[in-house]
Amino acid sequence: MIYKRFELGNEIEFTAIIDNKFKSSSLAVYFITELNEKTAAVNNLGISILTVSSSQYRTYASLCEKLSELYGAGLGSLARKKGDAQILGLRASWLDNKYALNGEDINGEMRRLLQSCIFEPNISGKEFDPDSFNIVKKDLIDRIDGELNQKRSYAISQAAKTAFKGEPAECTGYGSREAAAEATSGDALSAYHELMKTARIEVYYVSPNEDSSFAEMFAEGFKDIERAPRKASVRNHSPLKPESVTVSEEFDVNQCKMVLAFKTDSDDKYALKMLSIIYGEMPFSKLFLSVREKLSLCYYCTSTSISAKGTFFVDSGIERCNIDKARDEILAQLEEIKKGNITDEEIESSLMALDNAILQIGDTPSSYISWFFDCFSDGQYITPEEHFEKFKAVTKEKIIEAANSLKLDTVYLMLDKEVQEQ
Amino acid sequence: MNKEIITSPRTGDSCIHVKHKSGLDIYICEMQGFNSIEALFGTKYGSVNTMFKTAADKDYTTVPEGIAHFLEHKLFENEDCGVFELYAKTGASCNAFTTFDKTCYTFSCSKNYEENLKILLDFVRKPYFTDENVDKEMGIIEQEIKMTNDNPEWLVFFNMLSGMYHSHPVKIDIAGTVESISHIDADLLYRCYNTFYDLNNMVLSIAGNISADKVLEICDSCLSPCADKGLETVFPDEPDDIVKPEIREKQPVGASIFHLGYKCTAKNGLERLKDIAAASTASALLSDPALPMCERLLKEEIINSTFGGEVFYGDNYFTVIFSGESDKPEIIREALFEEIDRLVSEGIREKDFQRIKKSSYGMMILELNNVESVANMMLNAHIDDVGPYDAIEVLSALTSDDVIDYMRRELRRDRCVLSIIEKEA
Repeated sequence: MIYKRFELGNEIEFTAIIDNKFKSSSLAVYFITELNEKTAAVNNLGISILTVSSSQYRTYASLCEKLSELYGAGLGSLARKKGDAQILGLRASWLDNKYALNGEDINGEMRRLLQSCIFEPNISGKEFDPDSFNIVKKDLIDRIDGELNQKRSYAISQAAKTAFKGEPAECTGYGSREAAAEATSGDALSAYHELMKTARIEVYYVSPNEDSSFAEMFAEGFKDIERAPRKASVRNHSPLKPESVTVSEEFDVNQCKMVLAFKTDSDDKYALKMLSIIYGEMPFSKLFLSVREKLSLCYYCTSTSISAKGTFFVDSGIERCNIDKARDEILAQLEEIKKGNITDEEIESSLMALDNAILQIGDTPSSYISWFFDCFSDGQYITPEEHFEKFKAVTKEKIIEAANSLKLDTVYLMLDKEVQEQ
Repeated sequence: MNKEIITSPRTGDSCIHVKHKSGLDIYICEMQGFNSIEALFGTKYGSVNTMFKTAADKDYTTVPEGIAHFLEHKLFENEDCGVFELYAKTGASCNAFTTFDKTCYTFSCSKNYEENLKILLDFVRKPYFTDENVDKEMGIIEQEIKMTNDNPEWLVFFNMLSGMYHSHPVKIDIAGTVESISHIDADLLYRCYNTFYDLNNMVLSIAGNISADKVLEICDSCLSPCADKGLETVFPDEPDDIVKPEIREKQPVGASIFHLGYKCTAKNGLERLKDIAAASTASALLSDPALPMCERLLKEEIINSTFGGEVFYGDNYFTVIFSGESDKPEIIREALFEEIDRLVSEGIREKDFQRIKKSSYGMMILELNNVESVANMMLNAHIDDVGPYDAIEVLSALTSDDVIDYMRRELRRDRCVLSIIEKEA
């Protein structure tokens, strides 16, 4: 594997990973900006529209036609949050030229297509092409409306909303329905120009072949853009509420959901991750063995450490009559860790699981991109091996310390309407 | 023991197939440059196999719905310890899944694959069922069933199947119902285990950073010959027609969703693979945003980017499904009816056909780029009774006339079921 990282412009970095085992190339362009309720939706629209048409392919139909001619090349957008920052982006992947049946230059064609999508968008006067805009606007509103379709992720999202109330991370990475409904095509174009000017931009290119043409294309594209980058803060610990808050909603559901959000003042993300594995991320974790296997209360009960926000979530799907029992057990298992009841085997198993996962970085183009983007977000460029060494250095005492730093902040409950009426 | 090397003439990729002396079919793909290892140990036993007999039985046995999935859960508990405990010591990530036509036990790792493989081959062949541990699992699976019953994508799919199939068990949820699993006990689990977990009915698929010789050495040491039990599975007679053309249900959802499926003729082996190629190409054409029908529906805001087509098939069932989010799925149904009629009468533009074919070819190559996909591809091909790389060859031979012929024969208005999950008022 060959790794190169260099600056393309003011706060614009290009990372190239050349690995000849792959049969395809991938590109990801991330725009990192402040997360804000007012701008999140329109920022999202201003970037996602780049994957719907361009000055070269003026309709979604013509762009899709070209992508399928290029052996089903993929092009999509993303909008999410990381800590208090909004991450917007484009992702593309395409087959390597050696698999083209008729000698087509898939790589060159994709470079020209992406250049057109990113730097020569489909503009009509002072707005994006209205037809293209309507497609992405409907998609965004439908996505927001559809949040409730996925009950588990909806519950976690609602818990985050309460846990991070008053902070940028209160809103989702893709924006609110109201803001999306109000956004115009002109607003989206302004957001695009603003992001090209002010966002921190990270470009990742993973390919089986060394090829400088993509870096050159980006350097050329950004050459005439007057950059004035604004720093977006990813890591901001969320303050603990004076008293824990419980919120609940009622739906006609078969299973209730419970999400507990804990806050921590600890900055030791390695100890917090080790704690999370021992507590609830794996089938050997305490929550799996107790809440699921011993008490048969649930199918899943897992923990997640969001170190950028100093927050720790535990979520489970349970019967309404078992909510108190499950919550008591979840808290009791945390108390056990706080008291030091962690075995050497639990620590060893956690390290083994991490070692296995870390060694798999680089087996897919997306795993390379995630790894290097996490390095950027954490401001720490280390190798996966060095990353693992940091986990190995976490002592039992540090894990106990991390557990003792957790304080319950928010409880979210999705309740079964029918049962409550009884 | 013969090692058969199977090579794709189109891509040059290859894998090894061995019919092991134990009766087990083994597929191995050494993938240079990758660190991961993915293994699947599967049996041709899924939720649809509710009626069966072996050569030793006089009559067919009928078992409760959801028992294959229940059995999958229970195999993770050995007499002396849990399987998760064993894998915790090696660092591998282990899992299992039950589908309509198979149950698979998997591990993924980047170290200690030899030890992980020994654990896999061992625990799947060591059932330990007691009434106590069956009772304990009941609560966990009940919660899994309730969780999926709150998933509108799952509901809209099963509602479509119940509108399509009169008696085929594919219309029943893989995990069964809270009621059906209450009839499961340790004896029934042993009955099913002893019937289907016969190495002659099973397959091992392993890909990644491995040595084929080492894998075979481990299989030699762990597996002894298994007598073929002469397993027979049967399905109730299923008429060609559908049960009802439209099913609506209200649910607490934010966006209304639909599944529109065509009940098609079910075949086996290579003939089915040819149907899959034709049906997939038809569904890709009919859901292609580059073509006028979808372009119009997008512009009129009837569909969004979630609209797509797929093929769903298995033993004695085969459907072509269109799905997505929409408040007006009836308009999509009409548009599809008209577009199919138009394509059948006017034909497919060769340019569009070749473009869709190239796109499908690209997807197949990408599948070979990933350790997990390769392991799954080899196992699925075996379960489907075809070779691992046959799909690429069948696709290459496909013509636009084959697709038109398929649409004419199979995408019939009177075999179409529309299932809708609507927002509650």
